[in-house]
Amino acid sequence: MHDKITQLFKAIADPTRREIFHALVIASSALSITQIANQFDISRQGVTKHIKTLEGAGLIHLKNQGRERFCSANAKPLQDLNKWLKFYEQFWDNSLDNLDTYLNSSKHG
Amino acid sequence: MRDTIIKEKVLNHPIDSVWNAITNANEISNWFLEADFKAEVGYHYTFNSKEDECSAIIGEVKSASPYTLIYTWIVKDTPIETTVKWILEPTNKGTKLYLEHSGIANYSGDTAIAMFESFNGGWDNCINGLIHYLKPQVNAR
Repeated sequence: MHDKITQLFKAIADPTRREIFHALVIASSALSITQIANQFDISRQGVTKHIKTLEGAGLIHLKNQGRERFCSANAKPLQDLNKWLKFYEQFWDNSLDNLDTYLNSSKHG
Repeated sequence: MRDTIIKEKVLNHPIDSVWNAITNANEISNWFLEADFKAEVGYHYTFNSKEDECSAIIGEVKSASPYTLIYTWIVKDTPIETTVKWILEPTNKGTKLYLEHSGIANYSGDTAIAMFESFNGGWDNCINGLIHYLKPQVNAR
């Protein structure tokens, strides 16, 4: 659970990983590593590496089925991050409104 | 996905009034958080919440030349450093305020988890309490 957010940002900082994650969200079902590799025209090895990073960030779940590994998307970590951003969004919106109110009510300007 | 919050607001007031409001301790204490603050590079400031159980914000002023103010923003007793930047620009009607809070991705590890868990509890209430304190007349919706 350490460095959860750092891992998350690292995972989504890479455009290919974002595309893989997006593809899994769109697919709305599990895709095998082979299917992903075919779709993205990158090596199986490359896909596996990206998948590992995404899994580390909690963005995908892996399941073994026969000889294949299947990946499915998990958007929950993004929602957690979104909470933080929303919190500060709200905080600054309120603070700037307060600043405006303060300036309007004081003798300034 | 980004980890920076950007706010822009046009204020119908001269740039120096806005600058004073964000750099003068008495004024900051009035609309924002109770401040021990000096707009001097290297100054270690403290923003105290008006409620005892809430964490203070501490940090160091990195830049304070009109009209750019930059300071680090640390929730006290956490190792997480984020950065808040204010830039003011004159317009014909008043002042354009640009606010940037960056480094929110630094909320990592145990701290982040602890803070996530208290997200709907402590700290959130602190801010709400503050807002109620500052805006007794306004019906927050």
